[in-house]
Amino acid sequence: MARSNSLLYLDGVSVSFDGFKALNELSLTIAPGEMRAIIGPNGAGKTTMMDVITGKTRPDSGDVYFNGTVDLTGEDEASIAELGIGRKFQKPTVFEGHTVADNLELALKAPRGPFATLFHVISGAEKKRIDYLLDRIRLGPKRGELAANLSHGQKQWLEIGMLLAQDPKLLLVDEPAAGMTDAETAETAELLKDIARDHSVVVVEHDMVFVRSLEVKVTVLHEGSVLAEGSLDHVSADERVVEVYLGR
Amino acid sequence: MFLQLTLSGVSQGAIYALIALSLTVVYRSTTIVSFGHGDFVMAGAFLTYVLVVAIGVAFLPASLVAIAVMFLIGVAFSRGLVRPIRGGPHIGLALMSISFGFMLRGIARTVWGREVLPMPRVFDIEPIFIGSVVITGDALFIISIVAVLLVVFFTVLHFTDVGKMVQAVYQSERGARLIGINVERFHNFSWGVGAALGAVAGVLIAPISLLHPDLGASFLIKGFAAMTLGGFGSLAGAVLGGLLLGVAEQYAGAYIDTTLIDITAYLLIIAVLLIRPRGLFGRKVVVKV
Repeated sequence: MARSNSLLYLDGVSVSFDGFKALNELSLTIAPGEMRAIIGPNGAGKTTMMDVITGKTRPDSGDVYFNGTVDLTGEDEASIAELGIGRKFQKPTVFEGHTVADNLELALKAPRGPFATLFHVISGAEKKRIDYLLDRIRLGPKRGELAANLSHGQKQWLEIGMLLAQDPKLLLVDEPAAGMTDAETAETAELLKDIARDHSVVVVEHDMVFVRSLEVKVTVLHEGSVLAEGSLDHVSADERVVEVYLGR
Repeated sequence: MFLQLTLSGVSQGAIYALIALSLTVVYRSTTIVSFGHGDFVMAGAFLTYVLVVAIGVAFLPASLVAIAVMFLIGVAFSRGLVRPIRGGPHIGLALMSISFGFMLRGIARTVWGREVLPMPRVFDIEPIFIGSVVITGDALFIISIVAVLLVVFFTVLHFTDVGKMVQAVYQSERGARLIGINVERFHNFSWGVGAALGAVAGVLIAPISLLHPDLGASFLIKGFAAMTLGGFGSLAGAVLGGLLLGVAEQYAGAYIDTTLIDITAYLLIIAVLLIRPRGLFGRKVVVKV
C-alpha cells in the first residue's frame, strides 16, 4: 500500500538501545478503518514499535508517517496524541478517585489549562457524549461508581472509553485481555470489533484465543522486524512462526 | 479559660493550616517537599509591609498584590528552576527549594539587615465578648479569612473541572498525560497556588507579629508538624493538623509550661512518627510483593 493511502506507515524503522536492536528495519502499513493484531515473543519489539508511533522513542532511522503526510518522528507525545493517536497501556491508567463518568468527562476534548477549566461547565452535548461512551464500553450502570471499585476488565474498558472520548483516528491497545476473566475477554473482543467499525485499531496481544476471536489480519514480529503477515491461520502455519513463537 | 485557649489556638492554628496546606498542594502535585516554603511566607509578609509602609498602599490591595506576586514567583520558580532538574534525584529538588528560600531570605537581609520591623495596626475590628471569652479583632479577622479561603479552595478542588484535573494529576501523571492534560502546566500552577497560600499566611502574620527575614523558618516547622499530624499528602489532614497544632500549643503553654509552646511542634512530630507514622488522615501504604 502506498504511503499516501495509509493511515499509519512505517518503513525501515530501526531503534537501538546500547547496541541491542529493538527494531530492525521494521516496515508496517495500517489502512484507514483497519484493525490489526500484532503478536510475537517477548523482546520482539512490540512495545518499542508503539513507543515510536506515540513519540516516546525516537527512531535511529526510517520513516513513520500518519495520515500519509504527517512525519511522526518530528513530533512529541502531546502533539501526536492531539493528531489523533491514542494509546492504552497494558496496566490500566484510570483515575481511581473519580467516578466512571468523571473519568470520561476528564478525557473529553475540552479546555485543558488550569484557568480555562476553572469556569468550564459541562455542556448538554458533552453529557450526551458521556452517556453514549458509557453504553458503548458496557459501563452504563456503573457511571456513578468510583473507578477504584471496578474489576480489572472494567478498568480496561473504561480506559478504552477514555481514549474514545478524545475521538482518535488510531487506537493502539496493549494486551487488552491480560488478567481478564473468560467472560471479560470475550466481551473485550466484541468491544474492539465494535470500535473498529469507525476507528483504526492496532492490538498487541499474547492470547491466541483472543486474537482469533478478533478475526483480523495478524502481523508477527521477531527480533525487531516483520516475520510473517496474514490471517491467524496463515501465520500459524508458517514454520518460522511456529519455531520462534507458537512452538515455545 | 479553656474556651479562650481553644479560640486563641484556632486563630494561630488557622495560619499553620494555611502553611501546611500550601506545602501539601506542592507535595501532592510534584512529590517535592518544599523546604524553602517558609521563605514564601516571609516574602508574602515583607511584600505586604513594603507596599503598606514604604509605598502607602492600603492593606487590602497591598495584600492582594503580594499574594499575586508570590503566585507568579511560584510559577516562575517551577518553570525556571524545578522543571530543568525534575527528572533528577529528589535531593536535588529539595536543595533547589532550600536554595531559593535562602535567596529570598538573603534579599530581605540585604535590604533590612536583621532588624525587626513593626507593621502598623490594620485590624480595626472591635473585640467580641461572649461571657468570659474575648474574641479579638485579630482572631476574628484571621479565622474569617482562612475559613472563607478554605471553603473556596475545597469547593474548587471538588466541584470544578480544574479541581477534577488537579486531582487527576495527583492520582496518575501518566494517565493525565494520556488524556492530553499538560502536566507541566499543572505543576507550575500548583507551585503558584502553594506560594500564594504561603503568602496569604504571611499577609495574616504581618500585622500581628514583628517581621524579620528569618521568620519563615519557625513557620516552616509548624507547617511540617501540621502535615505530619494530619497525614503527609492529605489536604484535609493538613488543615486539621494545623488547627490541632495551634490548639495544642496553647494548651501546653497554659496547663504545663509556657516554654513548651516553642517546642510543641517538634514534640508532636516525634510523637506522631512513633505512634501513628501515617498521621490522622494519611493512607496506609500497602506494599505488594
